[in-house]
Amino acid sequence: MRSTVAAALMATVLFLGGVGVWVAAQSADAEPQVRYDRESRYYRIRVVDYEKEGRRCLHFSKSRGIQSSMFLDDPYRLDLRYSKSMIAALALHPAPKDVLLVGLGGASIPKFINKHWPDIRLDIVEIDPDVVRVCQEWFAFKGAPGLRVIVMDGRIYLKRNPKAYDVILLDAYAADRVPFHLTTSEFIALAKSRLKPGGLVASNLWEHGVNRFYNAELKTFQATFPQTYLFKCGTSGNIIVFGALNEQRVAKMDWAKRAKALAEGRDLGLDLPRLVEAEYSVLTDRRIDEKPLTDDMAPVDTLRNEPPKHFDEGT
Amino acid sequence: MRAVLLTAVFLAGGALMSLEMASFRLVQPEFGSDIIVWGSLISVFLGGLAVGAVLGGRLADRGPRLWKLGLVLVAAGAVTMALPLYSGAVLDWMFPGEGAPLPAEWGAGGGTALLVYQPPDLRWPTLGAGTILFGLPALLLGMVSPYSARLFVHAMGKLGTGVGQVYGASTVGSIAGTLGTAFYLIAWMGTRWLLISNGLLLVALGLALGVADRLTDRPGAAAKS
Repeated sequence: MRSTVAAALMATVLFLGGVGVWVAAQSADAEPQVRYDRESRYYRIRVVDYEKEGRRCLHFSKSRGIQSSMFLDDPYRLDLRYSKSMIAALALHPAPKDVLLVGLGGASIPKFINKHWPDIRLDIVEIDPDVVRVCQEWFAFKGAPGLRVIVMDGRIYLKRNPKAYDVILLDAYAADRVPFHLTTSEFIALAKSRLKPGGLVASNLWEHGVNRFYNAELKTFQATFPQTYLFKCGTSGNIIVFGALNEQRVAKMDWAKRAKALAEGRDLGLDLPRLVEAEYSVLTDRRIDEKPLTDDMAPVDTLRNEPPKHFDEGT
Repeated sequence: MRAVLLTAVFLAGGALMSLEMASFRLVQPEFGSDIIVWGSLISVFLGGLAVGAVLGGRLADRGPRLWKLGLVLVAAGAVTMALPLYSGAVLDWMFPGEGAPLPAEWGAGGGTALLVYQPPDLRWPTLGAGTILFGLPALLLGMVSPYSARLFVHAMGKLGTGVGQVYGASTVGSIAGTLGTAFYLIAWMGTRWLLISNGLLLVALGLALGVADRLTDRPGAAAKS
């Protein structure tokens, strides 16, 4: 009797041990490899390699959202859908020379711009010095003529530095949160005031679903610029809103044509004209039942948890 | 008397924390959402409360009267209401230097070294701006609890009970002010109206204490000090 129990116990132990070894072997294969995981002044920064997919991703804090993604075999190709749509902003301007990017992320956008259009002078404002270091160490972000990084809050930089740009790209998310002072009419008007004639601002917005904040931000752009456009980046949850100084509306085919010219002779690894054709929509005259956000009244966190009153999908 | 005092410290505690929440919203657009900003503003409020507690306690030992407490609250309310008038100018003035520290021309960049410009040090300017804007209202509101405790003891005679109840009511008021502001008021009325309503609340409370002084104190139960 006793020996039977002992044998049963032994068998159980062996079985569980086997299961353990099998699970460990499995996960060693498929488990993402964490390359860097450290607390910075603003976030917990994590760099994770997903070798099966050949990608390296940047995560902030506990958010499962991907801040940036890079192909391990080609660090200069764009991966995330929204980053490709942001590039379309360069095509909305006839000849972009000075570009500002607010929010470095994993440096995918500046690497791409600098590689394909080295003549563009690119300023990048990033609040977290550790993000800059991580980009240099893990995301193949190197210095180049015409490329500089300013470690500062985006709004403070725009207010304190009078330099004007052709294109301003806003990509400043703090993990899942949106810093309210980068959403308001005052801020968007400040960015507008730092545009050269014919300039434009493009901003990335990311949401799990349509909500009141999303609409209020679109309204804020609509109220600030004579012409606004909206790109919906597939099912990724990102939208890009473009605010342009030019009174004249750019038609879909014209924008696509410019994109073609911009891509001419370059191996971008993405079909920019087709992307413009697929995502283009005009925001200017669309009805949005929200008030623009202001410094005084920007309850961003509250609005993000409320369903929209009305959303015009546009045409 | 007890109900009047506990209501007063409850409301003053609520207004204090509501003001502190509003202070973050006022400062963030000019100085960013950095941890420096949170740390500086919290310190300013705690510092104001500390100085206010000492001064309030002293004042309370020289003939404590409800109307004097009312006067402190009216002053705190007036300062709070006035904040939207000058906060922008003060924050702008306290920001260090002219413009971001960037060279006008492109340096001889070249090579592969990444050009990185470091930010100006915002620690002391943030603390300074915070002190100018919120030091005085925090100080005035810091006087309320010790002063009320003195009045309470004066009227009721029980030191431990009085101090305990005053601090309890004040803290519960602070919780209400914090949550109310964070959950509802910021979204409902915005920063400017939040400051104005807090100011109005404090002024009204101060005037009410003045009236209560007339009504309760004249017969003279607690008047012989």
